[in-house]
Formats: sequence, C-alpha cells, structure tokens
Amino acid sequence: MEGKTIVITSGKGGVGKTTATASIGAALALQGKRVAVVDMDIGLRNLDVVMGLENRIVFNIVDAVKGKCKLKQAAIKDRRIENLFLIPASQSDNKNALTPEDMIEFSKELRREFDFVLIDCPAGIEQGFENSVAAADEAIVICTPEVSSVRDADRVIGLLYSRSITPKLVVNRIIPQMVENGDMLSHTDMVDVLSIELIGLVEMDDHVVISTNTGIPLIMQKDSKAGGAFRRIAMRINGRVDLPIQIPQTQGGFFKKIRHKLGLSR
Amino acid sequence: MNSSNQEKIPVRLKGKGNTLCVTLNPLESSEYLKAELNRLFKELNDPSKNANVTIDTGSANGHEELVLELAKYLKDNFGVASVSKPVKPQNKRSSINEEQIRKRDMERSWHDYQTDVLVLTGRVRSGQKVTARNHLVIMGDVNPGAEVLAGGDIIILGGLLGTAIAGQPENENSIVLALDFRPTQIQIGSYVAAGLPSSPGKITEFAHVENGNIIVENYLEANPFGRIPWPQAR
Repeated sequence: MEGKTIVITSGKGGVGKTTATASIGAALALQGKRVAVVDMDIGLRNLDVVMGLENRIVFNIVDAVKGKCKLKQAAIKDRRIENLFLIPASQSDNKNALTPEDMIEFSKELRREFDFVLIDCPAGIEQGFENSVAAADEAIVICTPEVSSVRDADRVIGLLYSRSITPKLVVNRIIPQMVENGDMLSHTDMVDVLSIELIGLVEMDDHVVISTNTGIPLIMQKDSKAGGAFRRIAMRINGRVDLPIQIPQTQGGFFKKIRHKLGLSR
Repeated sequence: MNSSNQEKIPVRLKGKGNTLCVTLNPLESSEYLKAELNRLFKELNDPSKNANVTIDTGSANGHEELVLELAKYLKDNFGVASVSKPVKPQNKRSSINEEQIRKRDMERSWHDYQTDVLVLTGRVRSGQKVTARNHLVIMGDVNPGAEVLAGGDIIILGGLLGTAIAGQPENENSIVLALDFRPTQIQIGSYVAAGLPSSPGKITEFAHVENGNIIVENYLEANPFGRIPWPQAR
C-alpha cells in the first residue's frame, strides 16, 4: 500500500512547525508505522537538531532529488525510535535548488518506501512552500493563538484549497490561564475564522525547549502535556478519527467549571 | 419648444439612444428647412444611414404635409430607415395615468431591468480578492486580510472582518452591509474610512456616505430603504 504525504505548514514562522513535525513523526513511528520526516527548509535546516541527528548527516534532500545519492543513503535512521527516518535539508543550497516537479517525482519514491511522509514546510509562501505543497496529499496547518498567526494561516489555507488540499488545524502554544482571562484567543474563535477541521490543541510547554535543545523526542518525555497532545494528534492521523480532542485547562479546571455552572464565578 | 433660443435656431439635431431627434420650426419655408437638414446630416456622414429619425415640430400642431415632405427628402438623400413624429406624453386624465404607472411599477417595474449581481457562498480568506462589476452578495464570511470590491453595493450575510470597497469608481450611493460588521477598512466611492471603532457584539450594520463622510449605522434601526414606497430595482 502506498504511503501518505502530509505537509506541515503555517505561513508564519516560529509557530512550532518543526517541533510538530518531529513529534508527530516520532509518535507515528512508535505506533508502528514506517515514517519519514522531510526537512524542506533548505538553507535553514533545523529538523536534524530537534531530532538530535545533526552529526550524522552525509547526504541531504537536494542530493537525493538530483540523483547524487540513493534515497536510502539520504534517509537517516533515528537512534531511539525504530522506523523513524529523517531526510535532512541542505544547508548550503537555497530554496530554488528544487522545483515542484522534482518534488512530485521524489514524493512518489517516498510513498513507496514509507507509510507516512511528513514534510516540514519553511515559513512563507514562496518557492519553499510551493515545493513542499507540490509533493503533499494532505496538509496540517499549525497556528498559535495570535492574530498575526491566524491571518497567515488563513492565507495558507486559501492557497492549499486552491491546490485541492483540505488542510487540518492544530492550535499550538495555548496558555489556558490567559484564555480563561480573555487575554488570548480561544481555539473556538480561531476555528470560527479559519473554518477547517481541528485535529489537536497543544498547550504551551517548557518541555519543548528542553527537547529541542537536547534532541530527545518530546513524546518520550512522560509528563509533557505537549507531547501527549502530539501523540493524540498522531493517533487521529493514524485512523483514530473519533478520538476526542482534549481542551487544555488550568489546574482545578474541573471545579472551576462546576463553579461556573453554579454561577459562582465570572 | 417656443423658447427664444428655439426660434433663433430653426433646425436642431440631437442623438437620443439609437434615434436621431430633429427639432425644427415649422413656420420656416420647406426649402430653407431642407437646406438646414442637408447641412446637419452631411456633417454626420455615415451614422445617419439606416438611423431612425423623429421630427418634432414643437407645440405647433398640423404641418403633417411638411413632415411627410421632409421625411421623403431625408430617406431619399441620406438613407435613413424611418421617420416618425415623437411620442408625446399624454397630459390628459393624469390621475388615472399615474395610477396605471404606479400599478405597473409595483407589479413588475423590475421585470425588464438587467443588473449584474455576483452572489458567492463561502469564506473569503486572507490574501484573496473578490471583484464584482456591480453589486456583490457574499453568503459567508470575509476574513481579516481579504478584500471585496464592487461597482455597487456589498452585502455580506455573515461577518465582515476584511476590507470592503463599494461603489467603484464613483458611486457614492452604494452601501456596505454585513450581519457582523467588523471591517478592517471601508471605502465607498472616493471616501475611505479606516480605523473604524469596533462595535459591541454582533449587530447588523451598514456603511453609507452622508455629507462627505462614511457613516456606520444599525441597519434595522436606520432602515434606509424602508421609506421607498414600493420595490425598485437598484
């Protein structure tokens, strides 16, 4: 059976695309799938660092696409997780080194080898975005609860629709306390504006910084809330579509809810 | 028709739709009128060929013979298609007539009216631009960063959070209406309203031009078209 290619994109930079790609990829691999994560941020590669594989890169995606090496040579096997492979970006080329046609051909090859191919899309909507989207069957849009992020996500959703891809939404970096106080956009407001299917809500989590810096996958940290959220997102991608979405809440959220129901809080 | 100006110029020619209207003083001699017509139609050259011409003798009655004579002259010399007398509005029994007009207006005044209205359903997203020649109706939302532009009115059955540009290039009677009116910017004709104060809650509001300013009002309270006694095509 052919695998699925999913592009992870956002428009805006710094919303957590790379972290999400690494985490969802690791979670899918732990669920027994053969997974490749592809770094398309050519010239500014990061995914290798997040996954702790930076010192094992010999070949990169540009080499693989241009036929300088075989796919198997470019795909780096993860040390800790079976069935997880990284195809790193080139750090010395720029984004015009590849074309959408190249990527369509390359993705056919990837689909034969892997069950899931996750493409980490660069920020922006230029050549790098075009290349990443050309190869994809599905898309996940990462958006943080900020007006600027919502606007960029909206633009990207429009561009994806125009390429006949219906994206799904992940809201990242939710701070429940701020949402409760009305200082942060709630995910319902965001879904109202973006009007696409929501597949996960990820809470702001300090573990992400630790994981990024040490290269230990987020989902292997047991008490990480973000890790748990990404694990559930991976399960939804992997066929468990009916898995309910957990809404991040402050400590004591349950009692607060009861108080709210009784009309004792504002 | 008996104005002093009229008497000084015995023959006048005016294009009206696809007919040529000739106004002349029937008291002048037919030779003189022919000479004048000759001069005017020669200036026109080709456009007079196969044209429909009406000859108006003003308020003076009679002169049918003169009209027939001039009609023959024009047909022979300039190849016009038809020559007729203008249809005069009937002033007699005006009350009955007005009633008929009203009745017609109420029942089917819009029947023969052709207008371009672009009706879209769905969401207009950031970076997208919708342009309509005349009126624009969007059944859906307009997101921040999106732009909707129309030659006439813009009606949004949903939330307007982006930019709406109505009445382009210079129709200042246009309105912008949205069920949830929270635009980034409104333009009507040549007027621009940026940084509109946000209204509380979801109210159906509309923007229109009044005394050189763009005014935003509650649509149901202002009911701007409620005073028009019967439906009209816009």
